[in-house]
Amino acid sequence: MKERFRALDQRLLWVLLALIALGTLTLYSAGRNTPQAGIWLKQSLWNLLGMALMLLLATTDPRRIFRYSFPSYLLGLVALAAVLVVGKKIGGATRWFVIAGQTFQPSELMKWVTLLYVSHRLGSRHASTVGRLELFGAVGLVVFPMLLIQRQPDLGMALSFLPILLIIPLMKGLRTRWVVALLLLIGVGGFGAWKVVLKPYQKQRVMIFLDPSSDLQGKGYQVNQSRIAIGSGGLIGKGFTSGSQTQLNFLPVKTTDFAFSVWAEERGFLGVLLALGLFGLLLSRILDAARVAHTTAEAYFCAGAAGIFALHLLVNVGMVAGALPNKGMVLPFFSAGGSSTLSFFLALGLIMGILHRARVK
Amino acid sequence: MDPRHQPTLRRRLTVFKSLAWGLVALLVLVYAWLQLVRFGEFRQLALQQAVKVRPIPAPRGLVLDRNGHRLVDNRRALHLVIQREDLPTRPEVVAALAEALAVDPLALTRKIQSYRLAGKGRPLVLKENLDEAGIALAERVRARFPFLSVEVAPRRVYLGDELAGHVLGYVGEVDEELMKAKPGVFRLGETIGKEGFEASGNEKLKGVDGQKRILVDQLGTEVANFGQADAVAGRSLYLTLDAGLQKVAQDALGEEAGAVVVLDLRDGGVLAMYSSPSYDPNLFLNRLSQDMVDRYLANSVTRPMVNRAIQGIYAPGSTFKLLVALAALEKGVATPQTVIYCAGKKNFYGRDFRCDKPTGHGGLNMVQAIAQSCDVYFYELASRLDVDDIYATAEKYGLTERTGIDLPQEKRTRIPSRAWKKKAVPKDPKWYAGETISVGIGQGAVGVTPMGLARFYALLATKGKLLTPHLFYGYRDDLGNDLEPAPPPPARDTPLDPKHWLVLDEGLHEVVQSGTASTNPFVREIAREIPFSGKTGTAQVATFVDKAHYARQAKKLKDHALFAGYAPREHPQIAFAVVVENAGFGSTAAAPIAAKVVKYWCVDRLSNPLPAPRGKLVDPFTPPQPETPE
Repeated sequence: MKERFRALDQRLLWVLLALIALGTLTLYSAGRNTPQAGIWLKQSLWNLLGMALMLLLATTDPRRIFRYSFPSYLLGLVALAAVLVVGKKIGGATRWFVIAGQTFQPSELMKWVTLLYVSHRLGSRHASTVGRLELFGAVGLVVFPMLLIQRQPDLGMALSFLPILLIIPLMKGLRTRWVVALLLLIGVGGFGAWKVVLKPYQKQRVMIFLDPSSDLQGKGYQVNQSRIAIGSGGLIGKGFTSGSQTQLNFLPVKTTDFAFSVWAEERGFLGVLLALGLFGLLLSRILDAARVAHTTAEAYFCAGAAGIFALHLLVNVGMVAGALPNKGMVLPFFSAGGSSTLSFFLALGLIMGILHRARVK
Repeated sequence: MDPRHQPTLRRRLTVFKSLAWGLVALLVLVYAWLQLVRFGEFRQLALQQAVKVRPIPAPRGLVLDRNGHRLVDNRRALHLVIQREDLPTRPEVVAALAEALAVDPLALTRKIQSYRLAGKGRPLVLKENLDEAGIALAERVRARFPFLSVEVAPRRVYLGDELAGHVLGYVGEVDEELMKAKPGVFRLGETIGKEGFEASGNEKLKGVDGQKRILVDQLGTEVANFGQADAVAGRSLYLTLDAGLQKVAQDALGEEAGAVVVLDLRDGGVLAMYSSPSYDPNLFLNRLSQDMVDRYLANSVTRPMVNRAIQGIYAPGSTFKLLVALAALEKGVATPQTVIYCAGKKNFYGRDFRCDKPTGHGGLNMVQAIAQSCDVYFYELASRLDVDDIYATAEKYGLTERTGIDLPQEKRTRIPSRAWKKKAVPKDPKWYAGETISVGIGQGAVGVTPMGLARFYALLATKGKLLTPHLFYGYRDDLGNDLEPAPPPPARDTPLDPKHWLVLDEGLHEVVQSGTASTNPFVREIAREIPFSGKTGTAQVATFVDKAHYARQAKKLKDHALFAGYAPREHPQIAFAVVVENAGFGSTAAAPIAAKVVKYWCVDRLSNPLPAPRGKLVDPFTPPQPETPE
């Protein structure tokens, strides 16, 4: 057993434990005096379960895991298709399976499975031998589950698949014409998405992001209250469980999407600095793992994982500050939620396994 | 294949790492902007929505009659409410609740929805002002729906119901138009007097609202109190009204439409003022039902909302003859001894003017003419006068002005003159001499309010003192429970010649003793015991009610009956005016009501001092209890 714990990377573990501590405090404060008073406890259980899974993966040879990437990917696609048919509909979106009273969101895990499979495919050969066709194939592997998820609909989740494609510039580098082509694609794709793919409520979110004051009582209300919470926190914050925006319920959905606003209000800029610093260390350590990985596939996986974590960080932390559109993307270790928490820990478990193998050999 | 031996990959990963730290730095900048640079602005916004200043409404003062009977009381009202956080959301719960409360489920759903959107701070009121049956129902329903609660709120109670509806008026929430008209005076939702003395005495009754600084949550619920300035309760006050006399007036008028006004001759205090049909102010505290709108507000047949005592304009009929006599005496066109022969009618300007008595009164002097109410005599006096002479006399004795009573929307008495006709009838501005003849007997364009008429007879009773009728008697000393009398509004002396007065007084006395009013046995009986003075009047026109209605009813439009006077004859204490609409002769319909007033004031009041008006007043034989602090 001691051997198993030794498999955990010390630096990554401390950062992780610190982030979990901040997240738990935040959820305790956010749930206080509301029907969700016990949410910090529930989330702690998810965290414990997640850490147990992390320990399990960290002590497993990463190569064994990569071996299962293709069947996992297929299984994931089946699950995404199935959720559209038998999933539970909440608030107009069909995203959840209900298993033993718990809702489970297959797309959370599918994100990591897709990353696993794509890095496995692209990493199994030398970068210079990977042709254009294979690259397009990899893009297809990412885009297909995204489209299934957009059917639910869940644009935020679908977009969180995009960092997987960071593997391509990592392999091939960036050329000017690629960047131009990408920008063009985003331009054309954005227009196409606006016209065809986006649902009206998603368009509305974009409109409100462009002009938040246009809808202070509706969607804009949430971001407006969140900005007030963050701004009024000041340098040192209003104190633990003393944030007026949080405790008086002006702040909406404060245990999930807007959990970081709770932290920012009650702990102020210094608290934000601490949390963002920890996230920086997390990303940095994950990228370290990519540098020391024994196989290219492992390196790709770590780089993609860093991209996914970074996107969650950017979109959630930027969104609650009103700097990005109001997009439902959770913040790891802060936002309450079972599926996302377990998925993050599973990914970190694999990364720790990669670090462990690099260390012992 | 080992990435450790791929320098390009390692280089790119270094770039990725810098990008990651760049991202963190970017987010730090965003938060520094919000939390450091714009901190003050956001702190202000957070305070603004969490810290509110809420008013604490001051309890309104009570209203007592001159003897200390409560006319208006403050009581606790119970409302069945749902707190905002307990609003039911599931349609089946709403439907079950609607069934339990016996209301339309659709209406309840709409109510909950609109409250969810708009109402803040106060709970949703499902049923207001629960009576005993309502409380029992509420308890039963609450057993099934525990999220309901019963809220206690102060409520105004008008104890006599319809007894003094027009005098007291009622209270309600200040409306938006008034708030716009007088910005800064009222706060939203403030309770103010809407009608009657509640309106005119609002400043006296309302007290000073307090306020508290509280912390509220997103739903507007009070979370903490940072301190408050307590409300100062409005002072209780006495009205000049005598509840017993008011009750006599109410009973005497009964179902008839009309008005009774009784004035205190010492200071002009209004002892009784009843307008029939009256209304119950208690009904106006709740939201108006359609039934109430039909019965009161939109009722153009009997117009219960009009205070006939100060807003009803009636032709004074023969009660006006006293003014004409006075004008003739002062102009010198007649003396008390002037005898005019009445043959039942007389021709003026080519037209026959009839007397009430077709066979004629024969030769009459002025006292006899007043006593018999001979029309021909006063046609003759009017023919010797100009209409402007009559107007000047009316002006001199205050009949052309508002009485100045402390109630809102008093109407002005209408006394015609040449100038008046030019303004009022621009199509035919010329005054015809024949019109003066009609004015001589209080017909034509003459119109008075019962209050104005009572004031004129008070002037006759006091030998020329022009009183200002008023209702405010004084504040209550809240420690001793005693009256702190307020100085009565000023009275004006008029140059009424005592010689002229003697004639009028004699005439009014004879009306009751041997003249028109003595034909009624009840009046005769009372007058034998308490000699009093007065004048009958029978007004031919009835413009006040909806004529079309009566036409539809195929009913003959009867004359208005009037009686005005004072009592007792020696050292008079009260002056009064009685109008009974469409009731026929003043002597048979109005004079007996006046006699009841006189009997109560001079006899019953003293022998059996305090009859309780209509049951709801506190026991009149025990002095008013000191209030228990709420």
